[in-house]
Amino acid sequence: MSAIVTHHPVAATGKSSRATQEPVWVRWALISIALAWLALFLFVPLAAVFTEALRKGLAVYWASFTDPDALSAIKLTLLAAVIAVPANLVFGIAAAWAIAKFEFRGKQVLLTLIDLPFAVSPVIAGLIYVLVFGAQGWFGSWLSEHEVKVIFAVPGIVLATIFVTFPFVARELIPLMQAQGTEEEEAAVAMGASDWQTLWRVTLPNVKWGLLYGVILCNARAMGEFGAVSVVSGHIRGMTNTLPLHVEILYNEYNFAAAFAAASLLASLALVTLALKSFVEWKTSAEYRASIEEYSNEH
Amino acid sequence: MSIEVRNISKRFGNFVALNDVSLDLPSGELTALLGPSGCGKTTLLRIIAGLEQPDSGSVIFNGQDATTSHVRERKVGFVFQHYALFRHMTVFENVAFGLRVRPRKTRPADVEIRRKVHELLELVQLDWLAERYPAQLSGGQRQRIALARALAVEPQVLLLDEPFGALDAKVRKDLRRWLRRLHDELHITSVFVTHDQEEALEVADRVVVLNKGGIEQVGAPDEVYDQPATPFVYQFLGNVNLFHSRVHGGFARIGELELPVDGHEEAQNAPAFAYVRPHDIEISRTPENGTAFAATVSHIHAIGPVVRLELAREDATELVEAELTRERFRELGLHEGEQVFVKPRQLRVFLEQHTP
Repeated sequence: MSAIVTHHPVAATGKSSRATQEPVWVRWALISIALAWLALFLFVPLAAVFTEALRKGLAVYWASFTDPDALSAIKLTLLAAVIAVPANLVFGIAAAWAIAKFEFRGKQVLLTLIDLPFAVSPVIAGLIYVLVFGAQGWFGSWLSEHEVKVIFAVPGIVLATIFVTFPFVARELIPLMQAQGTEEEEAAVAMGASDWQTLWRVTLPNVKWGLLYGVILCNARAMGEFGAVSVVSGHIRGMTNTLPLHVEILYNEYNFAAAFAAASLLASLALVTLALKSFVEWKTSAEYRASIEEYSNEH
Repeated sequence: MSIEVRNISKRFGNFVALNDVSLDLPSGELTALLGPSGCGKTTLLRIIAGLEQPDSGSVIFNGQDATTSHVRERKVGFVFQHYALFRHMTVFENVAFGLRVRPRKTRPADVEIRRKVHELLELVQLDWLAERYPAQLSGGQRQRIALARALAVEPQVLLLDEPFGALDAKVRKDLRRWLRRLHDELHITSVFVTHDQEEALEVADRVVVLNKGGIEQVGAPDEVYDQPATPFVYQFLGNVNLFHSRVHGGFARIGELELPVDGHEEAQNAPAFAYVRPHDIEISRTPENGTAFAATVSHIHAIGPVVRLELAREDATELVEAELTRERFRELGLHEGEQVFVKPRQLRVFLEQHTP
């Protein structure tokens, strides 16, 4: 075996090699291309956001957050996320549970519906709500009679946010729950557990990391959503402006420092999300590895 | 607790899993549901547990109809094929689960739960693993924990789905003897599903042989092995030689051979299958006029306590398998290619119209 390896061209460079390993220059070339690409499209823009934001000094940077309009945009963004994420958490668990643990007619249709927000452009999602709840929309006259404002108001923004973040939790849980099957639930019920006890003590603890992962992604999207919210918001400053919309308005007014300051807030949020996501991924795989290792140590 | 199964039928789409099955399981016995995969044995077990609803028929526990009662109310202990241990709980919590989920009124105190769980863990000889997680256990250990967990709810019936299916051969053997001893200690009415005939014959008090959604035979292990009711049971329980024969007036004709058979006196030249177990075949070097046929030894497999011979019949193309003890084999001094005479000591005949 070793005789064959020494005749291999790569082995001539003095390094051990496997059948699938490329020559050194190919490896370095590929790595460089990948790194350059990453730098150009990810690191440079990210750095640009923060340098632009801080270009006029910390005082200006700080002032752009204490501006009442900015504060209200931050609050609205948080409000939308605080409503949309729990709503989709409950929906996601319910949908994943139904799809993964039971057989029923129309399952495929339900799966397709859950994916709909991924397939539809967010702008169209916004337009749907305008058509349904807007002044000229289906329920428009009824809503105005009862003095309920949905479009160009906070409820519309919340609805649009819920729509675009609909699939995240469900999509994360479905494959996980399907892989785990129903035996543990059957075991729990056979031992006398109620359905509620089974859900809290068996089903949910088994998917906790997947659930957290779904919530993190859902939250990131809820705070960052632009298109759908833009259509239903009406861009009323201090009233219906979310953080991403605020960035756009400031930018269009050539108020670059403030625009990038707000953008840096969103970028930081993204970085925190990524860190959390990596932590959850690491935690899940670490748990898995630990259990495998301990198992193999014993045998 | 006794279990009666009455006229149970169950379909999955077009597939008939169980077709009008009736069965009595007396109290305190250990019964094996034995059959090939797809015969409906697991479905029957799940219907008894209440995890599956039959399309028709009823399940009766101790004389009371339990068909519509929920699995929660049936007081059955169920051990799943892949154990279904709660992976996020320690062994202790797994076993304690059934006690912890009881309504507050009937839930034992914490001290009592702890005592009970340790008692059960001692019963399965794994008390030292209480703080481990299921992923840290070997297959055999998981199996025993699953059993302890099922026993924690003090079930009146213990149901086990392929309890040794996922274990390696050595552990299987140990564990099934252990299960038998445990049953002798506890005397809970128990039913286990298996596709392994050796396992069923060794462990169970009674064996129920299933095939294609129906029951072929019910009986004690030696009964089903020695007096198989159908050709299927004959073939499924152990190795067997099949001869195409004709039965005429109480005699079965295999080639040149005529052998008396019971119960077929009225048959007139009827085509039949004759079954002979390899260990019921006698080999000799001298012809025994009319009661043996000539064959050539085509292969000798002499590993273990039993010597297996492959014999080519001289009057037909069929191969015959025979098993000899080592002493007999040495006595005969056989070699490949030699001519011998083959005599079935015991054979069982089924007329062809009775076979599917």
